[in-house]
Amino acid sequence: MTENWLTVYKELAPDISGILITPEELQQRVKEIGAAISQDYAGRNPLLVGVLKGVVFFMADLLRAITIPVEVDFIAVSNYSTESRQQGVVRLVKDLESSITDQHVLFVEDVVDTGLTLNYILRNLRARKPASLEVCVLFNKPEHRLVDIPLKYTGFDLPDRFVVGYGLDYREKYRHLPFVGSLKPQVLQGNAKG
Amino acid sequence: MSASDCHRPEFAHPAEEAFARILDFYGIEWEYEPRTFPLEWDAQGNIVEAFAPDFYLAQQDLYVELTTLRPQLSTHKNRKLRRMKELYPEVNVKLFKRREMRDLMTKYGLMQEAGQIQGTGAQKREA
Repeated sequence: MTENWLTVYKELAPDISGILITPEELQQRVKEIGAAISQDYAGRNPLLVGVLKGVVFFMADLLRAITIPVEVDFIAVSNYSTESRQQGVVRLVKDLESSITDQHVLFVEDVVDTGLTLNYILRNLRARKPASLEVCVLFNKPEHRLVDIPLKYTGFDLPDRFVVGYGLDYREKYRHLPFVGSLKPQVLQGNAKG
Repeated sequence: MSASDCHRPEFAHPAEEAFARILDFYGIEWEYEPRTFPLEWDAQGNIVEAFAPDFYLAQQDLYVELTTLRPQLSTHKNRKLRRMKELYPEVNVKLFKRREMRDLMTKYGLMQEAGQIQGTGAQKREA
């Protein structure tokens, strides 16, 4: 199956050294998380909040795996890119569309690595006094954690490698891959030198 | 007062300065080399080896050590970190190795800094 997926994405396959998590494994785990959320939040009408852009793939599949009434909203924050760092601090680029006060909020994230972005967003959401605020993360990279954040739901622990696919990008590429693959070092090195 | 609130310290390596800027961006308070941990003493009780982690994140109670040394050159630093764990097991130290530093810089869009790490044979000064 691994070879088949790399054949399908033959233009990107030369950049990928191997598939770490197959589409089937991703879908199975997302279904399990969706079932757990459906059970834990029954009768609480939770609001799922995601941060753009990487989470859209996971969010779309997760929502369809949840069997209880839920609402969804998105926020976007500036990341530490060349433009944003001139502003000095992280900024909310797109806010939620409605108040979350007294609502049960489940924050959904594709990946948590250092925890710096997630820590900022949770501080921001907590200040709005939700009834509860928990975190659901599909990909966890605990080796690099700088801020300890309790995770209620996690999908997979990722190895200490630069990986792409299913929302994870490298310079905005590879997000749309239905699997998670590790990027060849020469792709990173080539761009770093260039 | 944290170093992020007052004048910036003199960093030993550009990667440390880049790391400090990332912490500032996300509102994490940090101090630069605030504490030195003695590791070895001579027969007279004089300190002959010590270790000063690069950063201390007070809210996380976490020390962070960055290294851009190639793996084959980092044996001495690894030994220091092992000794730290033996002598100060209650102190949390996280090490970012050369490849992890490069990936971190890449993740935050610092391609030039990532490239510099790629070409670095050794740090200017080892803690």
